[in-house]
Amino acid sequence: MLRLAWRNVCRNLRRSLITVASMACGLAAIMFGQSMIKSVQRQLIEKATSSITGHLQVQNRSIKEYKFPDKYIDDPAPVEAVLARQAGVRAFGKRINVTGLVSSPAGSVGAMICAVEPEKEKEITTISSYLTQGRYLGTSDHEAVMGDKIAQRLDLRLGEKVVLMAQADDGSMGAEAFRVVGIYHTGSTTFDGQFIYVPLAGGQALLATGRKVNQIVVRLDDIGLAERTRQELMEKLGNRPVQVLRWLDIDHEIVAIQTFQNAILDIVLLIVFAIVALGVLNTLLMSLFERVREFGVLMAIGARPRWVMKLVLAESVILGFVGTLLGLALGCTLITYYGKAGLHLAVGDALSYFLPFPKVIYLRFAWMSHWRALLAVLVVSILAALPPALRACRLNPSEALRHV
Amino acid sequence: MSKAPLISARHISKTYTAKGAAKVTALTSVSLDFAAGEFSAIAGPSGSGKSTLLNIIGTLDAPTSGEVLYEGRKVSGLPPEEAADFRLRALGFIFQAYNLIPVLTAVENAEYPLVLQGVPAAERRARALEVLGWVGMESMADRRPNLLSGGQQQRVAVARSIVHRPMVVLADEPTANLDSKTAASLLDVMESLNKERAVTFVFSSHDPAVLSRARRVLHLHDGKLAPA
Ligand SMILES: Nc1ncnc2c1ncn2[C@@H]1O[C@H](COP(=O)(O)OP(=O)(O)OP(=O)(O)O)[C@@H](O)[C@H]1O
Ligand SMILES: [Mg+2]
Repeated sequence: MLRLAWRNVCRNLRRSLITVASMACGLAAIMFGQSMIKSVQRQLIEKATSSITGHLQVQNRSIKEYKFPDKYIDDPAPVEAVLARQAGVRAFGKRINVTGLVSSPAGSVGAMICAVEPEKEKEITTISSYLTQGRYLGTSDHEAVMGDKIAQRLDLRLGEKVVLMAQADDGSMGAEAFRVVGIYHTGSTTFDGQFIYVPLAGGQALLATGRKVNQIVVRLDDIGLAERTRQELMEKLGNRPVQVLRWLDIDHEIVAIQTFQNAILDIVLLIVFAIVALGVLNTLLMSLFERVREFGVLMAIGARPRWVMKLVLAESVILGFVGTLLGLALGCTLITYYGKAGLHLAVGDALSYFLPFPKVIYLRFAWMSHWRALLAVLVVSILAALPPALRACRLNPSEALRHV
Repeated sequence: MSKAPLISARHISKTYTAKGAAKVTALTSVSLDFAAGEFSAIAGPSGSGKSTLLNIIGTLDAPTSGEVLYEGRKVSGLPPEEAADFRLRALGFIFQAYNLIPVLTAVENAEYPLVLQGVPAAERRARALEVLGWVGMESMADRRPNLLSGGQQQRVAVARSIVHRPMVVLADEPTANLDSKTAASLLDVMESLNKERAVTFVFSSHDPAVLSRARRVLHLHDGKLAPA
């Protein structure tokens, strides 16, 4: 029977090839789409965690709005001691993040003031790598590094002074002068136009917080460890008024973007599947209709109706296998190629508004999604064969033989 | 009590009720017997019910009433799977045209009943080549049907109909698509198989030249058997 099925598939080679090609292209397109979305998501997470949130943060337990912590960790030292001993932690650093005002003789703008431990911050986030002028923080407490858009708006040059103002811990208005030592350009409107970095000691002086900080940012060896490490840290820090948060707890927007993208991906997948299924169904129905007489002959010489049904199914399984294999090969080729050559994506431009996001995406395989698509295409191609197979099985031999 | 005939059709009637069309009575109470070793023909003009009768005898179709017995055993009304098994074991078929499976070579076509029976490959190939020899087709065993003439295709169909040694070969107008010379030589082949290999043939035709070759002719008229 396999011999007959195989020959039948080869009989109308052009039609079989079109069917196989449509399955292959469908599958390759799905794999490409999956890979694209997943690669964008990877980049998004990678950029978000490496430019601001880190993988984990320790914050005061009563904070609700994790992105804008409004309460302090009064005694960070014991937390640091725990973090220093925690497995999987690559680096951690204290920060104070507050919104405030940056003023120069040319004017003032609202900004996110990040007071960081300069050397530790280098290990956690990549902001130091975007410097285009001057140098990174390091020598004095009253230095500042800012985005080029702020500098431009305030008409600031290296070596000039800015005044930062923010509400201090005691409720009064703090103000301190900082000297601009570095200017960076990330390509992200948000970062270049709203972030200013100063050393932690300078920030603590500005806000009169003493040694308090409002977040301790942690970079892990692997982002996949986030949940496990969070739980372990929570246990060790359980008796302190702090909480440990994962990047996705802090950055709701990324999770929302992902959910949205996944939904779109699912819809596209469904449409492609429908097209593939209809294509296969059409081919099989056509080839069945042409061969009604032949099925009549087979049944007359003693083939059971169920055997004829299996024959039709075997043909579509062959088509499905070949189509899936070809699609897999095509998909892998595409992803490998664009994994090396990179893909210029408009979505990269859009996302770079919020984050320093690359314009070119290098595709990666997303096997967790690919194998589902693979299986689905295979199953769909076989399911599409069921109605024609059942019809073939119900044929009455004498009627089939009268068919021309 | 004498031995039951090879084939016995009793009071076969067939009425077609096509959707939206009037009822057509194709056969009215046809009764006939065939014995082993016969070389018999069913004659009648177009529309007289020859195909209908042969299909019912061959379990390809069910009679509206009446029954078909083989060696006394009732085969009409069997469920489709059992009817298929019966045909595979006991019957051979030749049709008017487009008989062969186009993707299989002559020898593969000839051996197909044995494939369905599950006969091992070497044995069935040997038997298929043997019967192709009987019909004079062994030199074209590896050709596909589209490279064979109509007469050659029908010879392969004859080979396929006898390869599994059936009780009877039912042939519905096997020569209708052939010119008279080719038809005559196909009948030669069938006749020699009947004489030398004891194959029982029942075939239908409306061609007097073909009918003259049969040892017994049964005449059908408007679905009724004419008295002999
Ligand atoms: N499936 C069907 N539905 C309705 N009527 C049918 C059907 N099959 C056959 N008939 C009718 O039954 C009658 C007998 O048909 P049948 O095919 O048995 O005749 P035949 O003697 O084989 O004719 P031919 O020499 O043309 O092959 C005809 O009137 C035909 O129109
Ligand atoms: Mg007929």
